[in-house]
Amino acid sequence: MKNFEDKKQKGLKVFSGQEDSKLITHLNSCVHCGLCAESCMYYLVTKDERYIPAKKVDLISSIYQRYCTFTGKYFPVLSKARELDEAAVAEMVDLLFGACTLCGRCTKHCSIGVDIGYVIKKGREMLTEMGYTPETLQSTVNAAIQSGNNMSIPESEFRDTLTWLEEDLRDEVNDPDASIPLNVPGKDILYTLNPREPKFFPLSISAMAKIFYAAKESWTLSTQMYDVTNYAYFTSNKDEAVTIAERLYNETVDMKAKRCVLAECGHGSRAFRWEAPNYLNKSFPFETMTSVELMAEYISKGRIKLDKSLNKEVMTLHDPCNLVREGGVIEPQRYVLKQAVENFIEMTPHGIDNYCCGGGGGQLAMSEYNERRMKTAEIKAEQIRKTGAKVVVTPCHNCVDQLMQIDNKFKLGVKVKTLSEVVADAIALE
Amino acid sequence: MEIDGKEFKVDGDGFLTDPNIWNKEVAALFAKYDGIEELTEKHWAIINVIRKNWEETGMAPMIRSICQTTGIRLKEIYQLFPLGPARGACRVAGLPKPDGCV
Repeated sequence: MKNFEDKKQKGLKVFSGQEDSKLITHLNSCVHCGLCAESCMYYLVTKDERYIPAKKVDLISSIYQRYCTFTGKYFPVLSKARELDEAAVAEMVDLLFGACTLCGRCTKHCSIGVDIGYVIKKGREMLTEMGYTPETLQSTVNAAIQSGNNMSIPESEFRDTLTWLEEDLRDEVNDPDASIPLNVPGKDILYTLNPREPKFFPLSISAMAKIFYAAKESWTLSTQMYDVTNYAYFTSNKDEAVTIAERLYNETVDMKAKRCVLAECGHGSRAFRWEAPNYLNKSFPFETMTSVELMAEYISKGRIKLDKSLNKEVMTLHDPCNLVREGGVIEPQRYVLKQAVENFIEMTPHGIDNYCCGGGGGQLAMSEYNERRMKTAEIKAEQIRKTGAKVVVTPCHNCVDQLMQIDNKFKLGVKVKTLSEVVADAIALE
Repeated sequence: MEIDGKEFKVDGDGFLTDPNIWNKEVAALFAKYDGIEELTEKHWAIINVIRKNWEETGMAPMIRSICQTTGIRLKEIYQLFPLGPARGACRVAGLPKPDGCV
């Protein structure tokens, strides 16, 4: 059993990483203007000042000051310096894991450009280094590392599911040769999935298979590595994040695919497309893109033809934070929806200013914060209600689950769909 | 968590802490909490498949297995359990919360 002092030294190492002058700058820059308060769902719903993003930054900054500055080291009472003790750890776990979805809205609103989400991720890294990652979150990382996918689906079950879906696809497109290819090297695309698709929600697999069929795409799935998620991004455990990202990198190379296409998954897109080249410290010899952009490409190049009269219900769009605010994939999903549905109405606000669903940052996995998560969700519930839409479309499976819970709790009476499902419903096969 | 005056030990998401204390009465009460007033024959067919798989393998079954064993169509399962197979059906069947984006 390691004592607390050992843990503390591990946590404090986060401040001394040679590569991280960014952290030091952003820990020392907040001018306490307060703009971030009104950006944060946790603060807006509860009015609890502890949830103000600047206060979360202050918490980490005060520990930095205590151990890494002259006044903090020798005259801690004269500054805001704070001991990294068990009480500070408990507060950090509660606020950085339990009261932040890493949605990044505060960062966008910060008057001087402090990357608040980044600082909070670093705070999570300290806690993880010290061994204080919430177990409920870590168990999903463990499942991925141990079994190859975050729901521990055995390979035989995965294969059976895809065979079953392939039969459905053949009926749907009325072609006995339609297929869901497995482990075929040399195809243009290696496609990925969120494990919850084969486990519980396979309509989006069927939808993408139909879209690939209509576009006459050269594609394959891999039974070895198909998991688009990387929960170690949420725990800020770099070694584990590297392990998971490296598997998908290696599989794409081994399959000799030209493109690795990421299923509708916000954090997975961020972790593999935008973080992984840094995790692995190399540029990728293949193109990485989201299925959202791919669908837009199919439509704009005329590879699939859509009949929007097949989607008559009023639909609105929920923007996943990691894909939209953080990743900059903003317009493709709107272009796709305008081609695929008759009545598309935006939420207010939307795009990079959209509110998180409330389930981001690993919140969905952390049961202990469930009540808080569903309370903050009232903002999203009201946003949806005001659109009057009957369907909420979102290109992220994690958001889908949170939105289904919001629908149930706030009695919105809406259906929640992925973008691929909506597109597949509008496909006019020749 | 209290439903109809009865206390249950559950995790923050309302999944039973001890799946072994589950019985049909628990299922009915959990379902009611989710807004399912009455468990029909189809609900029970799904719950029984989940429960059996859990007892045999320690895991929730794949949705394929639920569909093929019960003969109930996929979309109908989502209608029967509006929170889906995981937070809906598995919770009513007394399983612990699955890992992943659910």
